[in-house]
Formats: sequence, structure tokens, C-alpha cells
Amino acid sequence: MTEPRVWSVTQVNRAVRAMLEDTVESLWVSGEVANWTRARSGHCYFSLKDEQAQLRCVMFKAAAASLPADPEEGTTVRALGGLTLYEARGEYQLVVRRLEAEGAEGLWRQAFERLRAKLEVEGLLAPERKRALPRFPEAVGVVTSLVGAALADILTVIRRRAPWTRVIVRGARVQGEGAGEEVAEAIQALGGSGLVEVLIVARGGGSLEDLWAFNEEVVARAIVACPVPVISAVGHEVDVTISDLVADVRAPTPSAGAETAVKDGEGLGEALEISRTRMSGALRAIASRRREVLGLHRSQLRQSGVGLVRPRRELVDRVGDRMEAAMRGLATLKRARLSEVAGKMDVLSPLATLRRGYALPQDAEGRILRTVGAFAEGDHFALRVSDGTVPCEVQGGS
Amino acid sequence: MTDAGRKDAPENAPSLEERLKRLEEIVRSLEAADLDMDAALGLFEEGVEHVRGAEATLRVAELKVEELLGPEEDSNLRPLEEAPE
Repeated sequence: MTEPRVWSVTQVNRAVRAMLEDTVESLWVSGEVANWTRARSGHCYFSLKDEQAQLRCVMFKAAAASLPADPEEGTTVRALGGLTLYEARGEYQLVVRRLEAEGAEGLWRQAFERLRAKLEVEGLLAPERKRALPRFPEAVGVVTSLVGAALADILTVIRRRAPWTRVIVRGARVQGEGAGEEVAEAIQALGGSGLVEVLIVARGGGSLEDLWAFNEEVVARAIVACPVPVISAVGHEVDVTISDLVADVRAPTPSAGAETAVKDGEGLGEALEISRTRMSGALRAIASRRREVLGLHRSQLRQSGVGLVRPRRELVDRVGDRMEAAMRGLATLKRARLSEVAGKMDVLSPLATLRRGYALPQDAEGRILRTVGAFAEGDHFALRVSDGTVPCEVQGGS
Repeated sequence: MTDAGRKDAPENAPSLEERLKRLEEIVRSLEAADLDMDAALGLFEEGVEHVRGAEATLRVAELKVEELLGPEEDSNLRPLEEAPE
């Protein structure tokens, strides 16, 4: 009889481990999550179970880092991994490389909903929190990847619509581990720089997982704290992220974000033209009301027959006439190009009137002397002409 | 004697937003109040100045793109080289 071969515990576990690892290929296992714990090391330990059985699982730090959040207890998941044996305990376990719930994006949806609910309770999604965007920003901030198509799209739109704009970009990785922190830091730096009036936070389309940085709490908090309004322009139209929900404006794509940020220059030109037309219309109305008053003065003057002030009266009268004529001409120019209209405007300025040889009498305070009553024998006044003033004295009145 | 009451161009030109806002106020005042002719002309001139200023801004044809650098860099801003498409 030969002595039976005696194995050490270590030898047994090692052999079983080798057997498990060598003979069982990677597999998907479905079950409910139980006793999830994330150790300080970053490794996650849990069990998968069904009605009759349990399976110990471990998800090491590197794999666990790709999870949006820890799954809730009882969540039905499927795990991809390989079987092994933890020799120190003699327990066999599944080393999980990938964990999904309710379809490929279930865990992400779950984490999304959880954060959404949390922010909602804090009132951070409330419509009344939304700030109005500056209507005509001269400086626009962009937080996005420096190498992505999103930036190119945004610049194309701004260049087309409002090329006078100053664009300041803060680059950030928008995908992968640590992207959330980078995006949040960029929002903080650029939003708080005092350099921009509005901020576009952008990323092109991708899977829910690709867009995950924009569903992270750190990014949401940075947007909420940003001192200037934020436009969230992440993904495609169908993708809604937490960033979209907390931002002041959600744009469906980066291009749309840029369109939201800057108005079309064409529309602006029209608005200016309208202002100009309205101003001259109003001035014309005022001028014609003044004309009526002047007419009254004229008849009074005729009755008093004061010779001295006749030139003055005529001056006032003629300035009034010229003004009104110019205004009338202006109204017909509504459809003229802006630059042309701008030239005409000079004609209406009192200074331009002076340049044509008219003069305005003013008292020491600069008030325009417009009636006979304003001139008394011996009074000093100034006659304002195009290049300065001439001191005058009233003499030989009635 | 100077042009009392008329504003010379300030050293810091108003922003487009400020100009347009002021322009709106001016239009409203001119339309709403029965202003003295001097006051009306003053407002009108100021308005025309803002229209011109805004148009000058709108004429700038080249987009300026800069990158905000981190605190460790010497200069905080630098022109951004755009990646060729």
C-alpha cells in the first residue's frame, strides 16, 4: 500500500482555481444585486441571486469606475465576467467586467433618475431658476473638447451669424473617467472669469455612456453655480442630460446652442433700422408740434412789430422748416440701406445745421433764446455758430 | 464755449447690448413724452450715435477665437488654432 497523496489547502485551491479559470469561458449571468459594498480600495463586492441560489461577485476598481453609480439593492442586472476561486477563503466568485441593468443602459438610466430626483427636491430644476440670456453678447464662452466636431460646429454658426463676437474656449475632456470633473472645472474657470456673458457647454452625440459626464452631479453643480447663464448643448436632439435640465437653456445640438447664444446679424441690422425710423418719426412729430407754437409766436411778433428780433425769429422759423423738411425726406428713406440713412442723419443734427450757416442764440446757461421776451436791452448772450460762439449784446430795442 | 450737454465718446465704448438697450429707451422717450425740442434733438443725436456704434460693431467680419488657459500658464488667453476640418 502506498501512502495516499496528501494535498495542502493551498494546492487544492490553486488546482480548483486553475480548473475553473481554464475550463469555464467568460459568461453572462443574470440575477438580482444583493449586499453591494464599495470598498475604500474602489473594488466592489456583491452577490447575484435568484430564488434558490447566490453567487459571490467582485468588480475590481478599474471595471467599477465605468459604472454611473452603485446599483440599488434588488436591481435585476446581468454581469459579464469569468469564474475564479478566491484562494484565501476557498470561495469561488465571478470577476465582473461589465454590469448592465434592464438593457444596456439601465444602470445609467437609474443613476440619471436618482440624480434628477435629488436636484428636483433641491429646486434646481425649477423654471423660475432659469436666467435670461444676454440678447446680444459680445463675448461667448465655450466649454467642450478642443478636438471635437462640437467646437467646429459652434464656431461655424457664430462666424456666420455674428462674426463680431469674441469666443473664448476652455478645453475639457468630455468623455471617459474624470471627464465630469474636467468639465465642471472648465465651467467654473470660464464662467467665473468675467470674460464672457454667456457659456455654452457642448458635446457631440454619443451613447448614454459617452455623454455620462454631463449627467454627473459635479457638472450639474458647476452649472448651477455659474455666474453667467449656461446653454447646455449636449448630444443629439433625443438625448436629455442632467446638464440640460439644470442649465438656463437647453439646446438640442451644439450648433443649435450657438444659434441660441448669438442673434442673427441680419435681424440686428433690421432692428437698428427700425429704431432709426421710429426716432426720426418721433422727432418729426415733436418738430411739427413746435411749429404750431412757432406760428403762434409769429403772429404775436407781427403784432408787436419789433424790428430787432426779426432776424432771430426768421432763423428759428427757418431752422424749424428745414428740420421738418429733412424729417419728411427721412420718412421716405425707410427702405434705404442703413449706411445711406446714417449719412442723412447728419443733416438733422443741430451742429450740421450750424455748419450750413445758421446760428443759435444762447444765454449764459446754454439755454436757447427763442422768443422776444428772452432778450432785454443790455443783455449779454452768445451766438453759437459752427465752430464756436460769438459774444453779443442786445442794443437799441423798442 | 463747449457743447454743453452733449456727450463725447467715452473712453470705454458701450457694449452692443448697452447701446441697443439705450436705443430702446431713447425711442420710447421720443415717442412717449412731449419733449422740448432741445431735449428731443439731444436724445435723437445720442440715438443716432448708438445706431452708428452698433453698426460699426456689426461690421467686424472676423471672428476672434481664444483659449482660456489654466492658472499654471503665464498668459491666460491665447488665440486658438482651429483644427482644419
